[in-house]
Amino acid sequence: MFDLPDLGIPVSIFLAIYGAYMLFYVFYSLFNIYHLIRYGIYGFGLYLIVTVFTGGTIILISGSVFLLMEYDWTHSVSVDSAAEYYNEDLFPAL
Amino acid sequence: MMRLDHLPNQRPDEHVVLFMRRHWFAILTIVAAFILLTGLPLGLGWYFWLDVEPWVNGPVSGPIIVVFGSLYVLSVWLFAFIEFTDFYLDTWIVTNERIINIEQEGLFHRTASELDLAAVQDTTAEIRGVLQTVFTYGQVFVQTAGERGRFHFKNIDDPEHVKEIVTKLVEEDKKRVSALGATGHGKIKSTIK
Repeated sequence: MFDLPDLGIPVSIFLAIYGAYMLFYVFYSLFNIYHLIRYGIYGFGLYLIVTVFTGGTIILISGSVFLLMEYDWTHSVSVDSAAEYYNEDLFPAL
Repeated sequence: MMRLDHLPNQRPDEHVVLFMRRHWFAILTIVAAFILLTGLPLGLGWYFWLDVEPWVNGPVSGPIIVVFGSLYVLSVWLFAFIEFTDFYLDTWIVTNERIINIEQEGLFHRTASELDLAAVQDTTAEIRGVLQTVFTYGQVFVQTAGERGRFHFKNIDDPEHVKEIVTKLVEEDKKRVSALGATGHGKIKSTIK
């Protein structure tokens, strides 16, 4: 028999998921704003709507980035450890 | 962007009489859905914080919760805004000569059509249900002689009043057209998809 190497999955893989979603989010948001500006009725209301959406988005993304910065993204999950059902290091609430 | 004082294909002496969107109740629905979808999970997290805290502080579970929580909240915000855009871009413009119907269905489907007031044969206002009765909103159907000729003003404020104005404008436009002896009216002028 042979021994499998102790593989580790970096936690930063979730940052890649976050980044991919951000690309989708930015694309969709810009497309939505383009629609509003292209087809909306000219006036103060239109600028207010675009400002509220952009402002809300900046607040939410800043908040999430601020929270994400709290964690150690160099941490990696050992596949062997993750296979154990009760692992208090990984999931302390279990 | 469109200007109400400079409509597409604006005719001489044409001016906007009514500019309509759906009733504000539609916005209330979007806001309520947004508050429910974001407030409920956050409220539960706050209430059960002692149970949730070890998960949030965990070296693996914490990043997972924050990443997917962020994606969830951003998705709800984006969804709410797309729904609002749909509301905002659905407009009905009644001028003294024609009706312009602009409907946005999602981000990738937009329909704009117009018809001459002289082509209108019948206008119907409909208020149905408790909410529509209490908040005085409902539907107005504008029927023309053409086979595609039915405009539907969806969930607009005070449909009875709108119906009265449209009926009055139709009568005035028919008189104007017969006085001019104009031809070429009587059907939906254009549809853009």
